[in-house]
Amino acid sequence: MFGLPDITIIAVGGVVLVVIVALIYWGLTFRGHD
Amino acid sequence: MASDLITICVIVVYFLAMLGIGAWASKKIKNTEDYLVAGRSLGFWVFILLMIGTVASGMSLLGVSGLGFKAGWPTIWEQIFVPLSIGFCIIFFGVKLHNVARTAGYITVQDYLAHRYESPTALRSLSAVAGIIVSLIYLVGQYSAIAIVLMWLFAIPLWLALVIATVITTVYTAIGGLYAVAWASLIQSVILIVGVLIMAPIIIFYAGGFDHVNTYLAGVNPNLVMPWMPSGAFGIPYIVSFAVLLMVGLACAPHVINNVLAIKDVKYFKWAPLVAFLIYGAAMFLLKFTGFAGAVMVKEGVFTLPNVPNAGDFVILYGIQNSMPIMALWAVFAVIVLAAVMSTTDRLMLTIGAMCSWDIYKKVLRPDADDKTVLLLSKIVVVLSALCTMVLAINPPEMLAILIWMGIGVMLSTFAVPLLAGLYWRGATREGALAAMALGLVTSLTFGMLNYVKASLLGIDFGKIPLHFSAYSFVIAILAMVIVSLLTKKTTDKVLEETQTGWYISKQ
Repeated sequence: MFGLPDITIIAVGGVVLVVIVALIYWGLTFRGHD
Repeated sequence: MASDLITICVIVVYFLAMLGIGAWASKKIKNTEDYLVAGRSLGFWVFILLMIGTVASGMSLLGVSGLGFKAGWPTIWEQIFVPLSIGFCIIFFGVKLHNVARTAGYITVQDYLAHRYESPTALRSLSAVAGIIVSLIYLVGQYSAIAIVLMWLFAIPLWLALVIATVITTVYTAIGGLYAVAWASLIQSVILIVGVLIMAPIIIFYAGGFDHVNTYLAGVNPNLVMPWMPSGAFGIPYIVSFAVLLMVGLACAPHVINNVLAIKDVKYFKWAPLVAFLIYGAAMFLLKFTGFAGAVMVKEGVFTLPNVPNAGDFVILYGIQNSMPIMALWAVFAVIVLAAVMSTTDRLMLTIGAMCSWDIYKKVLRPDADDKTVLLLSKIVVVLSALCTMVLAINPPEMLAILIWMGIGVMLSTFAVPLLAGLYWRGATREGALAAMALGLVTSLTFGMLNYVKASLLGIDFGKIPLHFSAYSFVIAILAMVIVSLLTKKTTDKVLEETQTGWYISKQ
């Protein structure tokens, strides 16, 4: 896909996905205090 | 490239807009707190765009595409970890620092270190001096980037380009403080993001499209489309150290972390990490792809780069020049690059001003100094730091990215351990923090220099080390913190409670 080897798509795409899921989890669970 | 009247008009309008923001912001400055933390009044979008503008530096446009041009896909991790540094800063430093700063009245992160480690003089001074050194290194890289753009656009000598860039940035930063920096960054970040989202696809399309670019690169060298190199720079071990360098090093950089003290409401931290990552990440990926496209166009003979040591840093400029043959658009693009660079430069100068006037002068040398004097000194230091780095930037390094990474590497080794240990480990002591900071600073400067000149020390060839040099000094700083803290007197429980020290991000 996109002229790239599968390993590149899986590695880069996988890390981006994990980061986005982690940041969504942070947003859903954060209850900041002031 | 020769300039014409439209080009000059576009650049002049941009510069006047920045000066206008400085003049407007200067009316809001009543005291040092207004000047250095914008009266703790930044809203959600101003904060997010300030963070993006601060992190998005000269490297973001010139260096990122220059590195993509040189080494292909194995460098793509930079585009994940740099945007993630904003989230790391907010989550692991920002929430707790902001909560404590509200009651303790911190102006700079050095205020926190002095409080947490019960070291109003020694650690504050060392931290401020280290902060000034690393900010100056980083600042030289920014001025080099501004000079590249102005030289390209107006075909003027380097010294003149540097003088123009320095005068404009210094004036609005000196008169408007963080209000000016934050609002200028808001505009600069919008220009940067919108500009990249529009112009990068045009360059990639002009090079034959995304698929063609990747296929061509694979034909030249299959490693250029792999996620990592087989060994050495951008091999897997190097990328891991690179991740820590960019994500943690940038997050704890004084000019980045101080922004979290200026936000109006801690609840903004809820979605800021995700929003910043998505916006900035999209722009960064596109920028890297333009570097790949530039590499293909150079290899296909569409254009040739100038015969200078840092030719790679020019690739996006030449890419835009060839794919959009309308001179007014080049000027718009030059404004985009200037916006990216200036949004970091102004914040760095303000940070140096804060460390000199607040941390060293007010808190160490002259505690009885009145607010007016401190404010005036901040402005004087902003001007002096600009002049100093302008002189240093006259001889730019071979690749912009290398100098800027060196600056981030020194930041990581110097500040990450005292900050993380201070926030999360109740056993961390003043002596441990002093040892970690001093050793981190000295070893990272030494290793960085040895790595740059490819020299050997104690039988180690620093030109061929498998990890980024900062990884070694970072480990030394961790060891220094742990060993010295275990051997020295603990911080009092009162201070640990006041600074919310412990294994949690925020008290529920």
